[in-house]
Amino acid sequence: MIPAPIRPATEADLDDIMQIEHDAFESTAWPRDSMALELAPSNDRHYFVATIDERVVGYAGINVVSGHQSNVMTIAVAESSRGAGLGRALMQKLIDVAVAQKSVEIFLEVRADNEAAQSLYRSLGFEQIDLRRGYYQPENIDAVIMLKAIDLSSQPANAQPLVLGIESSCDETGIGIVRGTTLLANVISSSMDQHARFGGVVPEIAARAHLEALQPAIREALKTAQVSLEDLDAIAVTNGPGLAGALMVGVGAAKALAVATGKPIYAVNHLVGHVGVDVLERGQVETPTIALLVSGGHTSLLLVRDLLDDVELLGETIDDAAGEAFDKVSRLLGLGYPGGPQIDKAAATGDPKAIRFPRGLTLPKDMEKHRYDFSFSGLKTAVARWVEVAETKGEDVPVADVAASFREAVVDVLVTKAVAACQDHNVSRLLLGGGVVANSRLRQLAAEKCEAAGIELRIPALDLCTDNGAMIAALGAQLVMAGRSPSSLSFAADSTLPVTQVCSL
Amino acid sequence: MSPFLAIDTSGGTCVAVVSEGKTLASVSIDDPMGHSENIGNAIAQVLREASLTPKQLSAVVVGRGPAPFTGLRVGIAAAIAFSEGVGKPLLGVVSHDAIAFAALTGPKAVTANPINPLLITTDARRKEVYWSLYSGLDSHGAPIVLEGPNVNKPADLEELLTERNVNPVRTEAQLDATSLAQVASAKVAGGASLEDVSALYIRAPDAVEPKAHGKFGKQVSS
Repeated sequence: MIPAPIRPATEADLDDIMQIEHDAFESTAWPRDSMALELAPSNDRHYFVATIDERVVGYAGINVVSGHQSNVMTIAVAESSRGAGLGRALMQKLIDVAVAQKSVEIFLEVRADNEAAQSLYRSLGFEQIDLRRGYYQPENIDAVIMLKAIDLSSQPANAQPLVLGIESSCDETGIGIVRGTTLLANVISSSMDQHARFGGVVPEIAARAHLEALQPAIREALKTAQVSLEDLDAIAVTNGPGLAGALMVGVGAAKALAVATGKPIYAVNHLVGHVGVDVLERGQVETPTIALLVSGGHTSLLLVRDLLDDVELLGETIDDAAGEAFDKVSRLLGLGYPGGPQIDKAAATGDPKAIRFPRGLTLPKDMEKHRYDFSFSGLKTAVARWVEVAETKGEDVPVADVAASFREAVVDVLVTKAVAACQDHNVSRLLLGGGVVANSRLRQLAAEKCEAAGIELRIPALDLCTDNGAMIAALGAQLVMAGRSPSSLSFAADSTLPVTQVCSL
Repeated sequence: MSPFLAIDTSGGTCVAVVSEGKTLASVSIDDPMGHSENIGNAIAQVLREASLTPKQLSAVVVGRGPAPFTGLRVGIAAAIAFSEGVGKPLLGVVSHDAIAFAALTGPKAVTANPINPLLITTDARRKEVYWSLYSGLDSHGAPIVLEGPNVNKPADLEELLTERNVNPVRTEAQLDATSLAQVASAKVAGGASLEDVSALYIRAPDAVEPKAHGKFGKQVSS
């Protein structure tokens, strides 16, 4: 038998439903007004109709309380359509809704003299837990109270969850939407231009810009993805690491959105998001992998044995982030902001070997203590000194050579340490992430050294490398697919969130 | 137009569900920090206590400050997102208006007029206060602002008032989300547009433009 289509009930089904209601329950039928209220849009009440040839022949409703008990409100099938499995199909739909919304128990009550219904419910896992004497009046029939306990951990995980991700850890407001591992929207609103005259990201300016970008970015992402907020299975948000005031804008918005829509929320780690974004291009993050994340705010080397459960920070910058060093040297050379692209452009005609700038934390004694750490502050000072000396001597400063030599020093350390991490840990994969990945020389040198060392190099598309909401949504979707519990509404924005904390509860 | 969800994080975290001027549920957390931790549970709690689903709300009202920056943004961000989430209008109200409303109504109401206006001050940190002057309530019950919000050191504010020969009425009234919702109702009744929900920071961001450089940047010493 082809199962009858089950679809959500609407207020337009009221007449059909009331007809069946009166036939089935006679004197105890609900009044029309009550039924109309039940069918009104709600986050908690879910009503469905079973149809044959688009004719409504049955209906059922459940009141779902996420994380708590759900109650089957009613179920009925027109007499002429009974015995065809419609009751079972409707009940199964109600159970699915309760499970999807993470209810832990489902209650129902049934007339003690309706053995057929009780038998159906037992076959779906309900057990009698109580008997209410004379519950159905005026016939004075007892009610059997039945309960189905739901073991959420044993439920098949949602295969292709629709997740909206919110990212606001630095100067980019990112709203991304994914379905499983499929990218649907990746809207990025950057306040970079507003920081240009300050030569670096100003936290207060970034936070103000997030607030202004929020609503238009959410709307644009939904429009691009052609979904509504009601369609979502979950909301994910960056809760760290990053700029505290900036993070709080995204966290406040995400929590309110979760309450408004009744969707679960996942607080996820920004850095792990940069790694998790690879699922959008390859369907999964192949592990183990080393990840080198380089941006204006971070320079981190991670060992990822498992995306959700085992991420280890091998090292990070002990002073400036690599992107910050590019910005500062760019300013020093009278080039623009952001520094990365400007240095890249100026370096194009320069000789990377013209000046041997220091490679931070690469001396033997440093390699003992800071094998996978980075330092760019000394390099920046060395460039400044070199320029100062040249000017003092009255020489022309060869901007192209300085830029190329500086860039080479940064990129050399980044790639050398990343490749060493791969070799030391016997990991044959390297994943790059962060805005500095836009740097052509970094990509080139990483490709060369990885090939020579037999390491597989992964560089996601640039708009997935820079800070974005899609990577947050993608990591959130991975958590949903793995059946992980969502975060509570109490989690904090944590500017120094450790990379080991993939999802905050 | 009700019930309203009202959110204000210009001081602590204040959230309420208000219908026809009556508070159905409210949460007020004095903590001048912790807004982003508290906001989600506070909204969920007032809805639960008011026995309302989010979609049963008719609008979201949010306090625009003035306030120190970080906390204020959390409430506005939450209100924007909640309004998107339920597809209901978002109304912005100056937080000082709500304090003025609380001071000018109720059993302990003070009276104000253009000669003896009501002075509202709130902590702006950095040893400064945000302040506004109100001359009373309009015919719809919304506070009429004479001046503000501005930010000054308390001593400078007093000097300014003395100079202008203004002897203001002062109040101990505190902000509550119910008053915020009532101001919104009164303003809407008076035909005001409350579309603007931008944060009232009053101060510019603390950011200093780098000094002008020589041809190749600053001289590095040491």
